[in-house]
Amino acid sequence: MKSAAAELPAALQPMELIEGKVTPASLDDQVLQFPDRMPPRAWYVGLAITLTALGIGGFCMAWTLYYGIGTWGNNRPVAWGFGIINFVFWVGIGHAGTLISAILFLFRAKWRNAIARFAEAMTIFAVMCAGIFPVMHTGRPWFAYWLFPYPNERGIWVNFRSPLVWDVFAVSTYFSVSLVFWYLGLVPDFASMRDRTPEGIRKRIYTVLSLGWRGAASHWVHYDKAYLLLAGLATGLVISVHSVVSFDFATSLVPGWHMTIFPPYFVAGAIFAGFAMVVIVLTVVRKTMNLSNLITDNHLDTMNKLILAMSCIMGYAYFMEGGTAWYSANPYIQHTFKNYVSGFYGWAGITTVTCNIIIPQLFWFRRLRRSIPAMIFVAIAVTVGMWMERFVIIIISLHQDYLPSSWHKYVPTKIDFGILLGSFGLFFTLVLLFARLMPVIATSEMKAFLPGAQAKHGGDHE
Amino acid sequence: MSNGTFAVLGLYTDAQKIVDAANQIRPRKLGRLEAYTPYPVHGLDRAVGLPPSPLGKLVMGMGLLGTALALLFEWWTSAVDYPLITGGKALFSWQAFVPVMFEVTVLFATFTAGLAMLFAFNKLPFFGHPVLHSKAIKGITRDKLALSIESADATFDVEAARQALLDNGAESVEVVPVPAWDKPLSLVGLLRTIAAITAACIVAGAGLYGAEKMIPVVPPMLHMHNQPKLNAFRSSTFFADGRGMRPAVAGTVARGHLPPAFATPDEAGLMLANPLPLTQKSAERGRKVFNDHCAVCHGSVGDGVSMLSRAYGGKPANLLSNEMRGRSDGQIYGVIMLGKNAMPSYAPDLDESDRWAAVHYVRVLQRAQNAKDEDLR
Repeated sequence: MKSAAAELPAALQPMELIEGKVTPASLDDQVLQFPDRMPPRAWYVGLAITLTALGIGGFCMAWTLYYGIGTWGNNRPVAWGFGIINFVFWVGIGHAGTLISAILFLFRAKWRNAIARFAEAMTIFAVMCAGIFPVMHTGRPWFAYWLFPYPNERGIWVNFRSPLVWDVFAVSTYFSVSLVFWYLGLVPDFASMRDRTPEGIRKRIYTVLSLGWRGAASHWVHYDKAYLLLAGLATGLVISVHSVVSFDFATSLVPGWHMTIFPPYFVAGAIFAGFAMVVIVLTVVRKTMNLSNLITDNHLDTMNKLILAMSCIMGYAYFMEGGTAWYSANPYIQHTFKNYVSGFYGWAGITTVTCNIIIPQLFWFRRLRRSIPAMIFVAIAVTVGMWMERFVIIIISLHQDYLPSSWHKYVPTKIDFGILLGSFGLFFTLVLLFARLMPVIATSEMKAFLPGAQAKHGGDHE
Repeated sequence: MSNGTFAVLGLYTDAQKIVDAANQIRPRKLGRLEAYTPYPVHGLDRAVGLPPSPLGKLVMGMGLLGTALALLFEWWTSAVDYPLITGGKALFSWQAFVPVMFEVTVLFATFTAGLAMLFAFNKLPFFGHPVLHSKAIKGITRDKLALSIESADATFDVEAARQALLDNGAESVEVVPVPAWDKPLSLVGLLRTIAAITAACIVAGAGLYGAEKMIPVVPPMLHMHNQPKLNAFRSSTFFADGRGMRPAVAGTVARGHLPPAFATPDEAGLMLANPLPLTQKSAERGRKVFNDHCAVCHGSVGDGVSMLSRAYGGKPANLLSNEMRGRSDGQIYGVIMLGKNAMPSYAPDLDESDRWAAVHYVRVLQRAQNAKDEDLR
C-alpha cells in the first residue's frame, strides 16, 4: 500500500490532515481543556452581542404573540413572507452538518472527523432556529400540536396528502435523528471529560451525560455498528428533508414553483449554504481556540471545493429554471422569471446570482481557497445569496401570480427583521455556549485515525 | 462483605500489542476476556472473542415495522376513520403517503440504533461498574488501552491472570476489586430518587399555584375579540343621546312597519283582512314566526300552556278557545300590533308580512286542534 501511494503524483497524494505531532493524550489536552478554564474576554463580548440579538428577536416574538401575525408584512397574495424564507434558510444551513456526519462518513472521507462534531452541533442549532418560524407563522403557536396527528375530540386527522404535513414529519424526524446522532458521538467524549475533571458538580454532570461509558470492547462493537447504521439512515435524510421542503412549493401551481427540478435544486442549495456557514464558524473557531493544527488549511480547502461544486450545481439549476420558463411557452412562468431579475424586486434576483454563482468562482484559485479573508468573504456572500434566493422564490413568485387583480407588493416590517435577527442571535449564542461547554472535536473518533492507533494485522484485514 | 476480585487489567499503549496479547490469552481460558479502550480498535472485538453485533438486523426489522405502521396509520386515518377527498385523489392514494412512511421508517430505525444500542445492548446508563472506579479509567478514556481478564467464577486465579498479562507485553497491571456497591440500584437509592422526584413535583406545583394566585392575570391576545365596533345595546359616546343603537330618522318609516291606523284590536278587526294569500310557504313562515316569538308564552300548539306559564304561573290566552276562533284575522293582527294585558306590542320585531303569516299559522293551529270529520278523510 505504502509504495503504491508513493507512486501517485503530488496532487493525488493523501492530504495532511494533522499538523505537527498529535497523540491521543495531547489531543485530549488540546480539545477538552476549554470547559476547564474561564473563557477569554472576546467570548463574553461575542455572547453579549448574540444575546442582544436574541433579546431583540425575543421581544419581537413576544410582540407577535401578543398582537398576532398582523404585525408581520405577510398578506394576500404573499402569505408566505419572512416566516417561510427564514424557515427554508435555516433548515438548509443544517444540511451541511448531516452531509459531513453521514455521507462523508460512508465515503470514509477522513477530513470530516475534525469538523464533524461542530457541523453536527450547527445542524441541531439551525433546525432549532428553523422551527421557530413555521410555529410562529401558524398565528396561534399554542396550538402547534395540531400539526401532529393525534386522537382528538373533533374526530379529524391531518391530511397526509399535504406537503405541509410531510414537512412536519420531515423536520421533526430530522431534528430527532440529528440529536441522537450527535449525542451518540458525544458519549465517549463525555466519558473523557468525566475522567479528566476533578471531583465536583461538573464531574457529576459529565458522569451523567456519559451514561457511565467505559469504552468496553463489547460496547464499541455495538457502538460502531450503530454509528454506521445512523450514518446510512441520516444519508437518506440529507436528501429527503430539503426535498420535502421543496415539495411545499413544487406541488403547488404557483408559476415559478411548479417545477420538477425543485427537490435536487433545494438539496444542493441547502448543502451550499450549510457549508458556507460551517466555513464562517470554523475559521473563527480554529483561530480563537488555537485548533489550526487539527482543522487545517486542507480541511477548509476541501470544504471550499465543495462550495464551488455546489455553486456550479446552483448555476445549472438557475439556468434550468430559465430554460423551463422559456421552453414551457407559458406566459405566466415567463412573467415570473422576468420578475426574478427585473422589475420591483429585480435587485433580489441579481444579488442571488452574483452571490451564489459569480463570487464562489473565486474558489477556482487555490490561493483564494486557502486564504481566510477570501473564504470568509465568499462564505458570507453565499449566506446572503442563499437567503436572497429564498426571498426570490417566495416573494417574487407569489406577489404576481395568475390574477393581475390580486397582485400586491410585499414589504417586511420591523418585527420581521427583528425575528430574523433573533434567529441569528439564537444560533450564535448556542454556538458560543457549545464551544465552551462541550468537546468541539470528536476526540474518540480522531484518536482512532491518529497514526499508530490501529493494529496493522490481526485486526479486520486478516 | 467479601469483595473478591472483579478483574485484572493490563494496560497498553500500542494497538498492535493489545490485539496480539488478546489473541494469545484468549485460548488459555483464564477468565472472561474484555478490553477497555478510548476509541474503537479494529479487530480487538474479535481478538477478545466477541461476536459481531446483531444490531443491524434489529434496526432493519424496526425500520420496516415503522414503514408498515406509517402506511397502516395513513390508510386508516385518510381512508377509513376520516375519509378525506383532496384534489380528486383516491382515498387510499399510497403515493402521497410515501414521504411520511420514509420519515417514520428513519425515525424508528434511528431510535432503535441509538437507544437500543445504548440502553439494551450496552446496558447503560450504569455508574457502578468496577472499572469506572479503577485507577486505570483515567487512562482508558484518554490514551491507554486496557485488556481485562474478568472473574467468571470462583476458580478465577488472579495471579495467573496478572502473569499472563505481564508476559504478553502489558506495561502495568491493576487488580480491580468488586466494589461494595456492585448493585446498580439499591433500595435506599431508589427510595431517595422517588422522594426527590415527589418533592420536586410538590415544590413545582405549589410554586405554580402560588404564581397563578399572585401574578395578576393579563388577558392575553384578545385583539380579535376587542374590535372598534358597537355591539347591540351598548352605549356610545359618539352620539349625543349616548345610545349605540340608532332610532329611525324622524319622519321616516321602515318598509313593512307602517304605523297602525287603528287604536284597538277591535277597530283593526273592522278595518283589515289578511292580505297574505294562504299558501304552504306563508304558513311555514308563520310557523317559524310563531315558534320564535309566540310559542314561548302561548305554547307551541297555541293552547296557552308553555314553559313560561308553567314556570311563572301567568295565564297567556288559549288561542284554541272558541272565543279566539271567533275572532277575525284583523283582531288577531291588532293584538300583535298593540299588545294586550301583559303581552307587549310585537310591531317592532315583526314586519307586516310576518305578522300576517303568524295570523295564518294561528288559524292552522286552530283548525288542527279542532279538526272536523272531513279534514280527516
